Amino acid sequence: MSMTVLDPSFEEAAVAVVLPQRPRSLAGATVGFISNGKQGTKGFFAHLERLLRDEWGVAEVVYRTKSNYSAPAETSLINEAAGWAAAFAGIGD
Amino acid sequence: MDAGPVADYNQGVQFQARTLEAVDDDTVQQLYRERGWTDGLPVVAPTPARVEAMLAYGGFTPDQVIGVELVKQRALTAEKVAINAVLAGCLPPDFPVVTAAIEAMCKEEFLVHGATASTGGCAVLLVVNGPIRRQLAMSSTFSVLAGPDRASVCIGRAVRLVLRNLLEVRPGELDRSTLGHPGKLSWCLAEDEEGGAPWLPLGAERGIPDEVSSVTAFAASAPRQIMNEWTTDPVELLTTVVAEIKATMLHYSIWSGNYAVVLPPQIRAVLHEAGWSKADVRRFVYEHAVVRRSDWERVGKAAVVNDRNRDFEYRALPSPDHLLVIAAGGEAGGFVAVIPPWLGPKSAATTAAIGVCIDC
Repeated sequence: MSMTVLDPSFEEAAVAVVLPQRPRSLAGATVGFISNGKQGTKGFFAHLERLLRDEWGVAEVVYRTKSNYSAPAETSLINEAAGWAAAFAGIGD
Repeated sequence: MDAGPVADYNQGVQFQARTLEAVDDDTVQQLYRERGWTDGLPVVAPTPARVEAMLAYGGFTPDQVIGVELVKQRALTAEKVAINAVLAGCLPPDFPVVTAAIEAMCKEEFLVHGATASTGGCAVLLVVNGPIRRQLAMSSTFSVLAGPDRASVCIGRAVRLVLRNLLEVRPGELDRSTLGHPGKLSWCLAEDEEGGAPWLPLGAERGIPDEVSSVTAFAASAPRQIMNEWTTDPVELLTTVVAEIKATMLHYSIWSGNYAVVLPPQIRAVLHEAGWSKADVRRFVYEHAVVRRSDWERVGKAAVVNDRNRDFEYRALPSPDHLLVIAAGGEAGGFVAVIPPWLGPKSAATTAAIGVCIDC
């Protein structure tokens, strides 16, 4: 005799998000780094900035740090990031 | 093997959850293991009748929202929480405690996303107060931090399975704990209110009316056990407790937040005899659990001490009320458990009433 059992997982579909177009080039662009504020991001982002400037022609790099490394970035930071050609989020421990 | 929604079980309850068919209990176990829906232990098959009984006990409708996880904006419905409660082995009378725990954890200040995803590896400690402790035959005495009774184990496990199955808090997925600790499997205890006079129960201290049961959720690191059975002086006793808190601030995290101390009867007897209330305990710990940044130099953290910050003082508690003083433990033994927060102020302990709405 078979038995019927119920699915314990979350089943609702995720809300669809429209992704912005990827930039065709980073030459002359302003990009942003969003750090979680931990020590390990410093070396990573410093190296990444060198690569972006030297090899990809990035003009400006904006450094920002989340106010709480265990929570999503605050709305003001997300709004600012909308003005960048690309945003890089880094987690460092 | 999968089928559509289930309709019209015993009382006409309609579930939205997908159903699966299994030939026997062994197949159920295999199905849930393969899909990552268990913590590794066997589960109780969540049949529609069992889930319906769970919901009926608390008067819940299946689509009733118990809480919303704010980062994912994900509503946790009574139906899905009940399915996980059945899986965990809960009996219907346990269910109102589980839903109140989820409600507490979904409060913004608890930051359930961060607490359950963090590399810091905390667990959710639940502290139950009020008459429901007796109804569920919860024990507040021997081995109280290690699942002393059926209800405590199953309620704590239900919360863990809700996190796992509804929020993807599985090791290596959302759960990024570097180490974690054993409390993550299940961590729930009932406070010893009867043996605690003249102390107020934790729920009452946090605004819950008399005769209303409650659950307090705390994003907690692993407990540290200290021992001092060689004094009857509350100051000496609590100095040992403070020493452990200060050690944790230096060895783990210096940031202030909630701490919990679990005080068994032998320790409480010393405090009661001297006329110390819970408020007195909190005040003492607040005033004395203080370290300086320069103290990090002697525990291998000199790299983050400099001339500018070396004299900064750090308190374990932002205020005396941030200490959760919990009466529980076996009758003999001069031990106290110090339970540090996950990480300072990032998550605050939260309390919810069980089965009633206090502020609505």
